[in-house]
Amino acid sequence: MRPFIRNLFRFQESGLLWVILVLGVVLTAFAGTVRTPKFERAADGGRQRVFTTDAEGNRAPAFEVKNKFLNAQNLAQLAKDTSFIAIMAVGMAFVIISGGIDLSVGSIYALASVLGAMVLNHLGPEGTAMAPLAACALGVLVCLATGALCGLANGGLIVALGVHPFIITLGAMAILRGIAFVATKGQSIGGFPADLREFVRFELGNGLSVVPLLVMVVVTALGWIYLSRLAAGRRVYAIGGNEQAARFSGIRVGRVKLGVYILAGLAAGISAVLSLGYYGAATSGDGQGYELNVIAASVVGGCSLTGGRGSALGVVLGALIIQMIASGIVILGIDQNYSQIIIGAVVIAAVVLDNVNTWLAKRRLTRA
Amino acid sequence: MSYLEFRAVTKRFPGVLALDGVSFAVPRGTCHALIGENGAGKSTLGKILAGVYTADAGEMRLDGKPIAPADPIAARALGIAMVHQELAFCPNLSVAENLCLGDLPLRPGGFVDRPVLRARARTMLASIHAEIDPEALIGTLSTGQEQLVQIAAAVGTGAQVIVMDEPSSSLSAGETRELFTLVRKLKARGLTLIYVSHRMSELFELCDHITVLRDGRHVATGAIAATTPARVVSQMIGRELRAQTPAHLSRSPGPERLRLEALSSPGKFSEISLAVRTGEIVGLAGLVGAGRSETLQAVFGLDPAATGRVLVNDRALAPRSIEAALAARLGLLPEDRKRQGLVLGLNCRENTALASLPVLSRLGWVRRGLERSLADRYQKRLRVKAPSLETIVGGLSGGNQQKIALAKWLARDCDILLIDEPTRGVDVGAKAEIYALLDELACEGKALLVVSSELPELLGLCTRILVLRAGRLAGEVPRADFSETALMRLMAGVDPAAPSHIQPKGVTSLQ
Repeated sequence: MRPFIRNLFRFQESGLLWVILVLGVVLTAFAGTVRTPKFERAADGGRQRVFTTDAEGNRAPAFEVKNKFLNAQNLAQLAKDTSFIAIMAVGMAFVIISGGIDLSVGSIYALASVLGAMVLNHLGPEGTAMAPLAACALGVLVCLATGALCGLANGGLIVALGVHPFIITLGAMAILRGIAFVATKGQSIGGFPADLREFVRFELGNGLSVVPLLVMVVVTALGWIYLSRLAAGRRVYAIGGNEQAARFSGIRVGRVKLGVYILAGLAAGISAVLSLGYYGAATSGDGQGYELNVIAASVVGGCSLTGGRGSALGVVLGALIIQMIASGIVILGIDQNYSQIIIGAVVIAAVVLDNVNTWLAKRRLTRA
Repeated sequence: MSYLEFRAVTKRFPGVLALDGVSFAVPRGTCHALIGENGAGKSTLGKILAGVYTADAGEMRLDGKPIAPADPIAARALGIAMVHQELAFCPNLSVAENLCLGDLPLRPGGFVDRPVLRARARTMLASIHAEIDPEALIGTLSTGQEQLVQIAAAVGTGAQVIVMDEPSSSLSAGETRELFTLVRKLKARGLTLIYVSHRMSELFELCDHITVLRDGRHVATGAIAATTPARVVSQMIGRELRAQTPAHLSRSPGPERLRLEALSSPGKFSEISLAVRTGEIVGLAGLVGAGRSETLQAVFGLDPAATGRVLVNDRALAPRSIEAALAARLGLLPEDRKRQGLVLGLNCRENTALASLPVLSRLGWVRRGLERSLADRYQKRLRVKAPSLETIVGGLSGGNQQKIALAKWLARDCDILLIDEPTRGVDVGAKAEIYALLDELACEGKALLVVSSELPELLGLCTRILVLRAGRLAGEVPRADFSETALMRLMAGVDPAAPSHIQPKGVTSLQ
């Protein structure tokens, strides 16, 4: 049993789990409590307030006292917020492990949302042109295809022109958002078939939207399998570790690179589908600055920007840490204006800690 | 009285004890040779003195005072400078700018005072009689010139001790002579030089004292006049080297495996035609820049500008295609294993499997058991010394890394191995193992084309040796005529009237 427990804390991402645990405990301890009205599920499925009747027959609304952080609603909210970023971070992990970077994921997310929204809106909330389910499927498909195509364009340009991915995706970041803006004329687009919204917002119990969470779990699992079990994943690590050696070993470097950018775009497309369903509308301004959150999640989650290192599970945990801190700022009542400063500092601290850890490991190796 | 003294200097790197209590003394104004096989710790010791590394234990004394330079700048302040074998300057800046980089002469407002800069650089270069234009960009200089600039920088900043790390390794014969003249002049001025090298003849010509290191330990220190090259060699390797005739020579070679027909690449090599038969180890000799590595890379499909044909088993390969080369069971062990051969951040298992992923995977899934057993098999066969298959390759010694780089192609079961510098940066024990392995592979019926800068290596290993000169095939030497002189003649092209038994270009013994 001992070795099992030891192994449990020895695997690559155990450090991140510790951080999450500590953060959770700290937030719970300092969050304080809040009095919220009590709800119950009525016979018709809707929510209704609970009233108590005292001895004199006065009906008074019932309240319950909850920890501000550790309560079902907040955790559900946290999970939902994390999943949008985490899904994109898994895509980003592919790119960063291959030694690249994709600054355009936020814009891809916006463009995919907007195009998907336009299709859904055109087919109408009533499903005038086709069955609502088919309309939804088409909208989702457009979202995913847009993401993948944008990734293809990024990867294609990077491979064909041999330009640094930073430059190409920086350009794509502006161009794609520009396209989204032109296409929508800056307007918000809503009015979708209700089915998509109902599906994504499907709640289990007390406000827990399970669909984004499930999608995140599936994407993480697929990403993890791809990176650690498939030959294709091994090639991604090899290229990030040493592109020339990979080429000398017969790996088709261009093809692998193309693949990682497509996957990053596709991940942004998946996030876009969830946001369409969750918020029921899209504008060209959606996902502004997401690229930085996503890159931050990847870096906190253990990806090395020089390539060759990182994991799908790590970046998802990284996204969770960042989201916990963001929500912690709200819960602890810290001035919102400080949130960017704190998150920025956390990203830097995470990388410094990682470097210290690597250095310590090296020293242990030397002493041994 | 000793001027510079090492006392029980010890240095550890991950997995290796690079220096183990090394003690010796160096008198002032002498040139002190530091010799040992690759991995013996000679460069490490030089770098500790120059502040590049810090010692884990032990102490150094300069002029009786203990010193412990924490970085190269601190070492400079103590009057210790190092001349590196690899690039030590910014290639995009001029000689003058590089020479004064740490202390640029400024005018008010932070502008660089160019006339003063130039004058200062001229004085520094003149102090070692180097005729180099201070305005030239470092990137446009030859290696030899760049080394002179490094020496000028060291002398110009008042260095009293100069560590030279393999200074002649990439110099031409003429440049080496100039370097020797300079070293003698510096010595006459009272400077102390630590000359790190493994080239015996140079040391005996140039140095006053010699220290031999082996596996990080101090073996001997003494006046160079009191020893002989043969003794130093046996001290270096710790045993007598026995020349063994490779076993593959006793078997007659099989059918032709690999043939190059007029393989050319503009600016690199032209009209290379040769053939390698099953069970042969064909050497490819030549000076630096003769186009040896480039030829191997072109055969492997890595040169996008290559023309001509590569035939394997009489079938022409699709040109310039690494996939075609792989499909024809070719493997290339590249010259620079850290840059081209290995992914240093991945472990032994993953590196061994790197070229075999298509074979090892089913429907895209890597079959882990298969992968592990394959890696394990070659790790055992090549006697790789690593804690486990999961050890990160970057932490292994040069010899073990080279074995992993080779294992990658053996795991893929290549028939034709193109091997570029099989033992560069490999310690002496591993060297012998690699030679034995290559011989074994030839006996198994593989065809090997081996490039090496170390002539004794080719002479010991090969069935026959082809010589490249300035991108062209200069001739072929059969085993019966093997000698360093014969090879050097062809390589340098000094003797137009080569002995008749050395066949000139165009006549292949196979035809």
